[in-house]
Amino acid sequence: MFANLKLSSIRRSWDTAIILLLALVLIFASATTGTFLTSTNIFYIFSNTSEIMIIAFAMTFLIILGEIDLSVASILALSSSMLGYSYVRGVPIWGAILICLATGTICGFINGYLVTKLGLGSLAVTIGALALYRGIANGLLGENTVNEFPSAATDFGLKSIGSTFMPRTLPLILLFGIFFALLLHRTPFGRRTLAIGQSPEAAKFAGVDVVKHKLIVFTFTGFMSGVAGMVYTFRFSTAQADNGVGLELLVISAILLGGVSIFGGIGTIWGVVAGVLLAGSVESWLTLQEIEAKWRTIVTGILLLISVAAPVLVQKSKARRERMALKKSG
Amino acid sequence: MAAKGDLLLEMSGVQKRFGGAVALRGTGLKIRAGEIHALLGENGAGKSTMLKILAGVHANDGGSIKLGGKDFVTGSPEASIDQGVAVIYQEPSLFLDLSLAENVFIGRQPKKGVVIDWKFAQSEAAKLFKELGVELDPKRQARGLSIADQQVVEIAKALSMNANIILMDEPTAALSASEVSRLMTVMRSLKSANKAVIFVSHRLDEVFAISDFITVMRDGATVSENPVEKTNLQKVIKEMVGRELNEMFPKTKNKVGEVVLDVHDLTNPAYFRNISFTVKKGEIVALAGLVGSGRSEVARAIFGVDKYESGSVTLNGKDLPKGSPEDAMARKIALVPEDRRQQGLFMIAGVNRNISMESFNKLVDRGLINFKRERALTNTWRDKLSIKFANQADPVDRLSGGNQQKTVLAKWLATDPDLLIVDEPTRGIDVATKAEVHRLVNQAASEGKAVLMISSELPEVLGMADRIIVMREGRQVAELSREEATQEKIIAAATTGKRGA
Amino acid sequence: MNLFSKLKISSREASLAVILFITIGVTGLINPRFLTGDGTKDLLTSTSVVAILAIGITPIVVMRHIDISIASTVGLSAWVIADFCKKNPDFIWWQCFVIGAIIGLAVGVLNGLLVAGLRLPSLVVTLGTLYIVRGAVYVVSNSIDYNAQEMPPSLLALGQKVYFGILPFTFLLVIIAVLATAFFMKYTKSGRDAYAIGSNPPAADLVGLKVFRRTFLAFVFSGFMAGVAGVFYLMRFAQVDSTAFYGQELAVVAAVVIGGVTIMGGSGTVVGAVIGALLVQTIQGGLAALGVDAFWKPAINGLLLIIAIFADRRIAVSSEKRLLAQRIRERV
Repeated sequence: MFANLKLSSIRRSWDTAIILLLALVLIFASATTGTFLTSTNIFYIFSNTSEIMIIAFAMTFLIILGEIDLSVASILALSSSMLGYSYVRGVPIWGAILICLATGTICGFINGYLVTKLGLGSLAVTIGALALYRGIANGLLGENTVNEFPSAATDFGLKSIGSTFMPRTLPLILLFGIFFALLLHRTPFGRRTLAIGQSPEAAKFAGVDVVKHKLIVFTFTGFMSGVAGMVYTFRFSTAQADNGVGLELLVISAILLGGVSIFGGIGTIWGVVAGVLLAGSVESWLTLQEIEAKWRTIVTGILLLISVAAPVLVQKSKARRERMALKKSG
Repeated sequence: MAAKGDLLLEMSGVQKRFGGAVALRGTGLKIRAGEIHALLGENGAGKSTMLKILAGVHANDGGSIKLGGKDFVTGSPEASIDQGVAVIYQEPSLFLDLSLAENVFIGRQPKKGVVIDWKFAQSEAAKLFKELGVELDPKRQARGLSIADQQVVEIAKALSMNANIILMDEPTAALSASEVSRLMTVMRSLKSANKAVIFVSHRLDEVFAISDFITVMRDGATVSENPVEKTNLQKVIKEMVGRELNEMFPKTKNKVGEVVLDVHDLTNPAYFRNISFTVKKGEIVALAGLVGSGRSEVARAIFGVDKYESGSVTLNGKDLPKGSPEDAMARKIALVPEDRRQQGLFMIAGVNRNISMESFNKLVDRGLINFKRERALTNTWRDKLSIKFANQADPVDRLSGGNQQKTVLAKWLATDPDLLIVDEPTRGIDVATKAEVHRLVNQAASEGKAVLMISSELPEVLGMADRIIVMREGRQVAELSREEATQEKIIAAATTGKRGA
Repeated sequence: MNLFSKLKISSREASLAVILFITIGVTGLINPRFLTGDGTKDLLTSTSVVAILAIGITPIVVMRHIDISIASTVGLSAWVIADFCKKNPDFIWWQCFVIGAIIGLAVGVLNGLLVAGLRLPSLVVTLGTLYIVRGAVYVVSNSIDYNAQEMPPSLLALGQKVYFGILPFTFLLVIIAVLATAFFMKYTKSGRDAYAIGSNPPAADLVGLKVFRRTFLAFVFSGFMAGVAGVFYLMRFAQVDSTAFYGQELAVVAAVVIGGVTIMGGSGTVVGAVIGALLVQTIQGGLAALGVDAFWKPAINGLLLIIAIFADRRIAVSSEKRLLAQRIRERV
């Protein structure tokens, strides 16, 4: 596999670049569109990116470890379906929420078990899990949807704090953001995560239990997907099997855009936050420009390709310049 | 086709330097057709460089190389192959999913019209295997072949490219005894086909069993060239060692305390059997032996990176659970592994992050790493070990080999271990840093740590160790005290399994 | 059988075929219609699209890569063809194939340049093109759907055509494609290089194989087959909208892996991949016959994929263990 160490320095500046890029996009968007920096629009940007952000916090750890979980959107759907399914069968809402979160956690644990204990490749196996979990949700609810939730719950998903730009889910997301940022950048657990991604072999020699570590990360990625499932359910006031189809791709592209290396070992939470917000802002700007929704998929794809290709292209041109300089001097 | 005994290859006055280091200072080598030629010497004598020049990996800086009377073109692997020189490495890299016939002919498959002629490829491969005296099925998959048979496939590939000179770099290092005898059969059939075989080996018993001619190298120069009947084991060992030990090793006499590490009957049948020894406080014990004799595997088993099948490891009187580096660290064992780039360091991470990796318990404050303490820790060890770097956050990738090795040492010394295991602590670092590493290891012992050292460099072993345990093919063959140990004795035990020389 | 031995069908494919026949037999016990000519025809018809795609990605998977943009390419190809047909009522069937092929080749070239040229991970690259191509479908389709009335009758007639009462035209093409590709993979340098590259990438570089060219062409081939699969899609469903074949790349990957093409590269054949596709389809049909709700279909797909990966891993692990044991015996 191609893993170029020299990419690291470019990667490291990539997440600062992405924050700058986000600032530029914000300036450009507000200059071209008067309604961009209104509190309603900012509310929508936060609100529309909330599930992506929640899953991305955890998935960042997985990608840094050199693993991937493509089933997160299906876990979201399954936990959302379990939430609705149990609620209409008379489980109180807090119980249904617990079931929802437990579902996510269990799915994450299963993925982790398959990858770490049975030694199956995470890419292939989570493609299977993607179909499996969504399929279970499908089998559970079929074409039914659950729309009746207590207003306290749907208000949490739908409304803002007072008349501010802040969705009521924002404090929760902020809390998670701070937690995962500290976890990655300030704790031994985070250091070990980066270490495993940089060299699983050296991590083993450094006394890190790689299998256990990965299992934990898979499990909390499942948990966070469950949290996202809850937020999604309340935001749309809908529990159904095809909730969040394709969301895993948005999560991955936002993470890569945020400077996390697809080869593992490198990444920051603030980069990822910027990546998610960047993707969200671009989308919002496109909406306000009355560019039809259908273009957005293309934009997402292009953003993703740029985020993986750019560091490599920069590296290549740098190497070429160095060769040229060498030729001249030699 | 050259007749038996014809001079095929003549190297004379060959020189090669890498930056400031001189690897070859005027080396000579004469190879005749139908001859098995052993190239011997200690680590760093220049054998590998010689092979690499012939293989086209390096170009020589000076001297002449004649092949069949013509100048030999160096510096390109393709050119070497075209001139009839092929290399068989210790670990062949076959395509395990493909058939043997395919591996022999990969990239050069015989064709009938536009399609590959498999029948022909298979019969050709079968013919080559038969010539080599190992009748492998050309249709079988390479996966599942023993290393020895994989080497046979590589040799067949070399023959299919019309190689006349076959270089083998420590071909037997990874082989079991039965596999070695098989490889010897192959070498003899190459010889009878009038090919020349040049091989490097540290197992001297094998060398004397198979070779016709022995060239000994030392410090980048040829010291002797003899037909096998004109030399003997003792003589060769003397020629390899040559110089007397210089006083590079500031050995201090430490107070030796109670037993720290007690290894009893440790067995992992794939690598080593019935290993028992102790290391005491303040003592340096060396595990000597050839690469592949199971030394590193014993260290890995003690530290828990690998599991072992039976036996026990006791630390400070209490059993150590197997297979858990975490437990080993908690019980104050440190392992500086043999491969610092792959195992010892996180190359793209900063120096500070590498040094603090095993010392989080000293840095964590209410669950969070205190960056100030991390900086202080890095500075402390930078000063103690005089590690040179511009910035704490510089990736260790940018440091010199010596500074990298000191960084690995620093990160483990920072854990204040009771038992320090160092595996090839001075491999690939410059002389000045070597001396510093030796000083640091000695200092650790004088501070009362127990030290287990693995090294392929005999002067280092003799200069540093209080006791020396020699391993050969996974077994403990000798234990020598500092007083009785000599280079000759260690080489004899490591290469022939017999004590004394 | 002679044909089988000629193409060097390994025991892996043979055992898969046995599993397939057993599954068909068991399904036939529950629903006898499964064993009739009509039943066979239905099975082959419904497998055609996935099968042709499975043939397309097999060389890629053999080379340790993956292409998940294929389902989007099918959607784009199908919609654009339908659109051409609508605008040119005198279109005939082979022109549809040409358009499909061109679209597929374009996507394949893009993927190939990014993966082989820049050496980027294929998963991420094709994830990106999955989006871009699907986005292109949304953009060009403008929410317009086409159905049978707007398609060339010659194409639809071909979609209905059945030989010997059991062999639909589309599956005839699948058989031709599988034979041609199997021959190519077995008897040409390019084909063998693919196995070598997937088996040991660093060694492939060392031996001087043309890694860039082979990788690039594999992606172009996969794109081409996906374009053709777009025509198959139209022939089978006689309608298309912007979400056509959405998310079905997983079904294809499942078929390929179940068919013994290991995700770690280096082994597997197109014959196995097609048998894998048939097996998945049969199991689906069998469970439907058992009265399992169609809503469970994706779950079963997923489970099958995980089981296939697991089985594959078990085989690898046990052979490693055997090797180790042999090594230990020899050391004694």
